[in-house]
Amino acid sequence: MKFLPIIYLMYMFFSIYFLSLFLILYFNNKKNLFNFPPLKKKYSISVVIPAYNEEETIKDTIEHVFAIDYDKIVQVIVVNDCSTDHTREVVEEMQKKYTHLILINNEKNLGNAGKSKNEGLKYTTGELVAFVDADSYPAKDSFKKMIGFFNDEKVGAVTCPILVRNANNFLEKLQEIEYKMIAFSRKLLGYVDAIYVTPGPLAIYRKVALDEVQGFDGNNMTEDIEITWHLTEKGWSREMSLSTEVTTTAPDNFKEWYKQRRRWSIGGVQCIAKYKKDFFKKGMLGMFVLPFFVIQFFLGLLGLGVFFYVTGTSIFSEYILANYSLPAGVPLLTIDSFFITPTFLDYIGIILFVIGTIFTLFSLSMMKGTVFKKENIFYILFFSIVYLSVYPFIAISGVYNYFKGGNKWR
Amino acid sequence: MIKNQKMIFLYALIITLVVFNLGIFMGYMLESSRLDKINILYSNAELELFDQMAQKESLGALNINCKTLVEENIKFGDKVFQEALEIQKYEEANRMSGDIIFQHKRFDLLRTLFWMNSIKIKQNCNSDYHNVVYFYKYNNPSINQESKQKFFSNLLEQIKTKEGEKVMLIPIAGDNDIPSINLLVNQFDITEFPTILIDEKTKLTDIKNASELENFLK
Repeated sequence: MKFLPIIYLMYMFFSIYFLSLFLILYFNNKKNLFNFPPLKKKYSISVVIPAYNEEETIKDTIEHVFAIDYDKIVQVIVVNDCSTDHTREVVEEMQKKYTHLILINNEKNLGNAGKSKNEGLKYTTGELVAFVDADSYPAKDSFKKMIGFFNDEKVGAVTCPILVRNANNFLEKLQEIEYKMIAFSRKLLGYVDAIYVTPGPLAIYRKVALDEVQGFDGNNMTEDIEITWHLTEKGWSREMSLSTEVTTTAPDNFKEWYKQRRRWSIGGVQCIAKYKKDFFKKGMLGMFVLPFFVIQFFLGLLGLGVFFYVTGTSIFSEYILANYSLPAGVPLLTIDSFFITPTFLDYIGIILFVIGTIFTLFSLSMMKGTVFKKENIFYILFFSIVYLSVYPFIAISGVYNYFKGGNKWR
Repeated sequence: MIKNQKMIFLYALIITLVVFNLGIFMGYMLESSRLDKINILYSNAELELFDQMAQKESLGALNINCKTLVEENIKFGDKVFQEALEIQKYEEANRMSGDIIFQHKRFDLLRTLFWMNSIKIKQNCNSDYHNVVYFYKYNNPSINQESKQKFFSNLLEQIKTKEGEKVMLIPIAGDNDIPSINLLVNQFDITEFPTILIDEKTKLTDIKNASELENFLK
């Protein structure tokens, strides 16, 4: 057998595996996907909001946090990382209204969210600590539907779906689909204790767990992934409450989107490098999360290599053919060129794509998306075929930047 | 419901292995069915060729009409050409089975026999058709060779459509390590692929345009 079919078969194997995994997880847990444990204990909770140049959204974020239906929010701390806009003034104005609102102004710009979160963490007094991004609005019922998971003493962190608030333009609509897919798959992974990120827009942590891992890694570009891996390494469980949500602002243009994804990608590589010692060691981090990440990276990069090889050789071959054919007046295409005999790999690929798309549609319908509108089908197909294909390019950029040392947050 | 959620990883692996192997099996079945079609094509072609050869052998002994024999030969030649195109499609779509290479060799041998028979019929019947044998590289051609072969193939198809019965187009893989073909390759001093051999005399390895080839067929 030739080299390329072996690579295609490898892709198919992993695709079938992850599809099977998610399907079994779904069918095994479909009755309690949206369940959340009732509050047995009213934990006190501190909220930390790291902010840098967030004058446009910080007010609404704070309003949403104070509107959360939970009466043991003991403090809300905004960590202003030397914003150059009016973030500080907006928060100071709001302090007049909310007495529990604390503003910490960093003496110098710390440069990333992880360090600011650690600054805020120093001042927290709650048994739980919630971190909220300064452009994210938690739902009113979020704490009530998340904190119950802490009834289990092993749970160190709880997250919830992050939904796109500004799904207006094409790119934002694609991200809306992506975020819903991520939320649904994260919930499913939660059933096997395989949640690998507790994202920045809203995550609640047990204070003792945060103390055990000594807070966030200030040098990591994706401090939310890193801390989740760290908690996993230390044996803390992570949970996901699918019944509530936090909305956030997704990048509205390609440049910003690319910058964000490249940062995620660099952070992912940083995490792999930091925790490589745990590879295949007992526990979810070594046995699933790390291999899952590495396989994703590897397949993405390999896929990109194969794509360039196949496309490159095909273009080169057509170029040579044209050089021979055109001067000789021989057609480049014959009628036979239009009759393609599919290989069995084509058939399997099509079947996998169809099943994958059905799963996507199904996931979105579970996430209360109005998927069956004509325009949404177009977005979903575009998402499945084009959007996801861009991931490997960003992965390459991430790996390149990681080795180049280009790890600037902003 | 699966109580131990961690077992789900194992169940997913088992399902994957089952589905994956089922896919491989289906793929094998698909390619086998295509191979069966090639086998039927081969058996029919073999039968027709033997018939042709028998007719040619009977030429002197019995009162067989040369015109009929030439017509039959041309018809068979056209069929060989069409079958070659069809087999090529199946070969391009083949991913697993190595049997198709063996089958290709059998066709090469059959086409060689057809070529020899065609030479004899042409001589015995004093016919004016042209034997155009197209030697190409089958095993791992370079990108340049592959493109050149595609160009030659399109060109020959164009000539065949234009000239029709005047051209007996016989494609043969020159690098499949078949002793009789190796012998002919050496005999006609074919040192590179692709090469077009016209009427066992003219060798063409570089063609600038279609009329260049047509000139040899006048």
